[in-house]
Amino acid sequence: MTDHRKQFWLGVRDLLPLVSGVLPFGLIAGATGVSLGMTPEMVMGMTVLFFAGSAQLAAYSLIQDNAPFIIIMITAVVVNLRFAIYSATFAPLLGPLKKRYRLPLAYMLSDQVYGLCSMPEQQQKSDSERLWYLTGVAVSMALSWILSVVLGIALGASIPSHWSLEFTIPLAFLAMLVTTISNRQLFIVALISGSCAIGFQLLPYNTGFIVAVVAGVSAGLLIPGLWQKWVGRKGGDSHG
Amino acid sequence: MDNLTLWMLFFAVGLGTFLVRLSFIQLHGSTEALIQRSKNVLMLLPPAILAALCIPAIVFSRPVTEYQVDPVQLLAAAVTILIAKFSRSVFWPVVGGMLCLWLLRILSS
Repeated sequence: MTDHRKQFWLGVRDLLPLVSGVLPFGLIAGATGVSLGMTPEMVMGMTVLFFAGSAQLAAYSLIQDNAPFIIIMITAVVVNLRFAIYSATFAPLLGPLKKRYRLPLAYMLSDQVYGLCSMPEQQQKSDSERLWYLTGVAVSMALSWILSVVLGIALGASIPSHWSLEFTIPLAFLAMLVTTISNRQLFIVALISGSCAIGFQLLPYNTGFIVAVVAGVSAGLLIPGLWQKWVGRKGGDSHG
Repeated sequence: MDNLTLWMLFFAVGLGTFLVRLSFIQLHGSTEALIQRSKNVLMLLPPAILAALCIPAIVFSRPVTEYQVDPVQLLAAAVTILIAKFSRSVFWPVVGGMLCLWLLRILSS
């Protein structure tokens, strides 16, 4: 029991530094909603129902453009398709749980949860330790996101934008990325995925993200085989 | 769009997003064999996902529609990578990167 509690608070502690990036994002989400003429209740309802910042911002801009209902709906859900990957990743961990734990934890999956819980040191823990760690990260992430939006509704955009606090989000994922890369194959995966993400970022509905992930993983699966074939053909004159 | 339509939209998107998140978790058991077989792919996913999440936001300054490369952000990211190589935490690399970003912004303004 105490060990579970330890893992939970470890998750909370690891999430705390990421709040510096979540906060400005939440402020923007809250302030933008109010500036579009929505009531605070509506912005909060949207925030809780979506629980996804990037889809929320995408929906705002489409609502502003008077886009049709069905287009906004499809866009927002497609922007969130990456959550299906996270769902698959954590299925062995969350799938066997009782419904009253499974559903809330599924609802709280996010980029931050995925990033922290897929770090190499987490993979070495037991399933129940990983579960409690994930719960700690997910609950504190959910609270900090919702409170940030509340703050955004109350304050408007009052953190100066030239502080670029939202830049801590990509930096945090970059730091996680560096920790994740432990061999050349994983480096190639990151390299290809990152390059494709740059190349395809103007594709609509965030599909560039999916394309990049698929390209990176495919490269990681194919390149070691090609490499071996190439080295094999060179045969004796290779120094390894 | 009137408020009722907006609420319907929010519920529709909320439900859709929740189903996306729940998908594989709910199907767990029937997909276990599939997930076992795709262990190779799952192992490669973290670097692919993390790179796709952060690289565009680091290389280009917002708004991304203009494709403006921001050298200051690139240098800040380099500092983050360096610190992350030595520290296992996420905190110090981010602090180092942000300090570098602010310093360079001040120096270049």
